Amino acid sequence: MGAELITMNEMEQEDWLDRRLREAAPYIDDAGFTTRVLRSLPPPRPKREWLRFMLLLTMSILASALAYVVGAGKFVSASVMQITALPILWIFAIALGAGILVTAGGLFAAIRTRELQF
Amino acid sequence: MELTDADLITRVLVDDDQHAFGELVKRHQSAVRGLLRQLTRTDVALADDLAQETFLRAYKHIRSFRGEARFSTWLYRIAYNCFREDARRRKELVGINEEQWQAEQDPQTADPALRHDLMQALNLLPLHERTAVILCCQNGLSHDEAARVLEIPLGTVKTNVLRGREKLKRTLAAWAPN
Repeated sequence: MGAELITMNEMEQEDWLDRRLREAAPYIDDAGFTTRVLRSLPPPRPKREWLRFMLLLTMSILASALAYVVGAGKFVSASVMQITALPILWIFAIALGAGILVTAGGLFAAIRTRELQF
Repeated sequence: MELTDADLITRVLVDDDQHAFGELVKRHQSAVRGLLRQLTRTDVALADDLAQETFLRAYKHIRSFRGEARFSTWLYRIAYNCFREDARRRKELVGINEEQWQAEQDPQTADPALRHDLMQALNLLPLHERTAVILCCQNGLSHDEAARVLEIPLGTVKTNVLRGREKLKRTLAAWAPN
């Protein structure tokens, strides 16, 4: 019983000390600290957007050229023929569906970008 | 939607996004500056300089953060290293001078009025005990995390926390609940 009382007393003292220690460390207001840190950072690496664009363009041209050579260009005329053979309502529906798909993708990307902004 | 530290770190890594890093600084500045103020014995200007250096290093070396520990733990480690290097430069505290400083600041001989102030009681602890107590009791790090921050064995951290607490309890005995 006595030992239990001592242990309880020690535990209370431990809690008290931890509480006091946490209280002794109040939140320090930023007061321009973050701005000073950001100013001291090295300039961001230049983004190589042009490189990405050039890579995509080159790959697209290469892939198209390869497909044209392998298929002797027949797939282009065949596809055009198939499309022209479709009823006008179908062409309209495909165009509308593609438009909706692209708009939805754009909206999703815009919302996501806004969420990530501070 | 609140972004996690991991999300922000990813943005810094992928896009070199300094705004994301700024958000990380805002989140952790208080804890890092608080730790350094305690380590430098409330020298606010020096502590803030070291805190700035801490975040600058964190930004430059963020690729070496592997996510095994909390981001705050990683920052504490950098902050502690900054403090240690600065102390070495100033030829203070660490190593041989620690014992001398300890003898000068022995709680038994210090002004009794200071004993009733917790912050000053903390300042009376030797550096290794003070740091362990601040990290574990004040900043809520586990012993294991503190061992990583301080780069010392787990057992040493436990001993330092235990000894530091005992000394604090003795120094602050008049304030303790009955």
